[in-house]
Amino acid sequence: MNLFKIVTKNMRQRALATTLTGISVALAVALTVAIVHIKRGMQQRFEQSTLGYEMVIGAKGSPLQLVLNTVFNLDISPGNIPWTLVEKLQADRRVKAAVPFSVGDNYRGFRIIGTTGAFGETFGYKLAEGRWFTCSIEALRDAFKEALEHSQERIAKEKGDAPAKPAAHHHNAAEAVIGATVAQETGLRVGQKFIAAHGVEVSPNAEEHTDNPWTITGILAPTGTAVDRGLYINLDSFYHIEGHEVRDAPKDNDPDPGQVSAIALKLRSPIHAFPIYREINDGEEAMAAFPAVEVRKLFAIVGNIDRILLAQAILIGLVAGVAIAVSIYNSMSERRREIAILRALGARRGTIFAIVVLEAVAICAAGAVAGVAGGHLIVMVANAALRHVSGFTVAPLTMEVAELWVVAGSVALGALAGIGPAWRAYRTEVAENLAPTS
Amino acid sequence: MNDAVLSLREVRKSYREADGNRLDVIQVGQFELAAGDQIALVGSSGSGKSTLLNLIAGILLPDAGVVCVNGTDITQLPEAKRDRFRAGNIGYVFQSFNLLQGFTALENVRLGQMFGNGTGDAVELLKKVDLAHRLHHKPRALSVGEQQRVAIARALVNAPALVLADEPTGSLDAANGTAVLELLRQVCAAGRHTLLMVTHDPAVMRHFERVVRLEELR
Repeated sequence: MNLFKIVTKNMRQRALATTLTGISVALAVALTVAIVHIKRGMQQRFEQSTLGYEMVIGAKGSPLQLVLNTVFNLDISPGNIPWTLVEKLQADRRVKAAVPFSVGDNYRGFRIIGTTGAFGETFGYKLAEGRWFTCSIEALRDAFKEALEHSQERIAKEKGDAPAKPAAHHHNAAEAVIGATVAQETGLRVGQKFIAAHGVEVSPNAEEHTDNPWTITGILAPTGTAVDRGLYINLDSFYHIEGHEVRDAPKDNDPDPGQVSAIALKLRSPIHAFPIYREINDGEEAMAAFPAVEVRKLFAIVGNIDRILLAQAILIGLVAGVAIAVSIYNSMSERRREIAILRALGARRGTIFAIVVLEAVAICAAGAVAGVAGGHLIVMVANAALRHVSGFTVAPLTMEVAELWVVAGSVALGALAGIGPAWRAYRTEVAENLAPTS
Repeated sequence: MNDAVLSLREVRKSYREADGNRLDVIQVGQFELAAGDQIALVGSSGSGKSTLLNLIAGILLPDAGVVCVNGTDITQLPEAKRDRFRAGNIGYVFQSFNLLQGFTALENVRLGQMFGNGTGDAVELLKKVDLAHRLHHKPRALSVGEQQRVAIARALVNAPALVLADEPTGSLDAANGTAVLELLRQVCAAGRHTLLMVTHDPAVMRHFERVVRLEELR
């Protein structure tokens, strides 16, 4: 027989109150653990995804939207920028690589991104199997011209003019390298073909580019970033599709009428970052943004929501603590006789105090442990929603140091909640509460 | 210092009444019990018998006087030491058994052992009081006679020098009362535990060779 056995017996005798108060603690802990876990996990995933993307350039608008669209395959593209800017940056000695991206289609909800062979090489993405797609500058220029013709043909039709006879164009094979998650979730394998749907999200009315299937030439090794959820196609094949037009009327005799959605830059030295950033932003045709800065800004905003949710969880925890205190305090009236018996058997006041505090601590500790498990369960369930919203998931079974603090905090809360009832137990008069005096 | 297991000298206890007057409950001049003594202390209801037992047990403190148990003046001990002393040296049997309902018979006995740091064999003791087959039953599953036998085993588990019994047969029928009384006297005699039993029941008094009226102690 020891104090813990006495505590356990007391808890069993008040099973309903113990369970209900324990559940309220578990709920608070589960919410806290889930919030901390999801926030940390998402932040890590987002930061991991920005590695290598020193600067992105796109149409003027929201820098966060540009970064979300280019680096994380989220949101919609803020617009197009001229291909000439890609060439200008590629020729810039300060720039190690300028990788263009064009977006606008999806396959079963996974985004299709037109890019060049420099994409994998620049950012170090390795293939798990197969080879990269073929993409040449000549084919790309030809594709831009074809896109321009598509545009002119549409304008002529709208005006009622006879469309010009389309020129003959040489098409490279439409090829794709797909991310690890895409391969896993769609079952697509090297050598198989897929048909894209128009738009960046799944829509029942989306037009399918049935005349232009892509052949998968490679599957990327998992990266833990948004790349896992992308299908990367040779940029020229993107412009062969009808409807992928060069929207703005190009200048006459412009050798490169093409446009892209964004450019990702890798610089020769970080020292060049701010001068290039200023030059781009001072100009009229594009906007530059630092992905790392935008992610920090995003999480500063998310952090506020996160703090509100945490405050709510802590409030639930405090309410649970009060409930435990009230529940045990009220039970003291029924337990006065038991306390008197224990005292008559030789238990000191301090021992009685410890028994009551331990009871509150045990309820909170049990609730906290259940809450940690519950928190991880919430993360597991929330992963489906997270994947839908952000493309990322959080490892549900990894432990955060913060979780230990939450458990420690719950134990401290239990100790605090137990003090009031324990003091009442401590002051119980033995003689008055034993058998009635004769 | 003498060999008395219990020695009371000039012990006074009074309570303040609602009208502010003090009511003297206990006035004991001199009273001693030696090792192995068995005595019935008799008094009418409300005469202060239970209060006297609580004073001897150190649960209450007297307004004045000396309460020595096994040579230790327990009135001079700080409360925590008094509690520990009580656990190790005094066994207490109550009229209403005072068993903890959430604990089995064996656990109730071990509770007494826990606070007194006793090393006695709780199972053996329960066998001695004929409860070998009821070790793991909770009080509500036991008859009143069995409950009181558990209480006796609990009182004796630390081999105390002094056993206090507060009308232990008061809640039992005549047959059970006699059986429990004889059992208590028998195990106390076997272990040379001094037994002080308070009662107002003439039937109980007849079992004791020495019967003292509370008034005679003044």
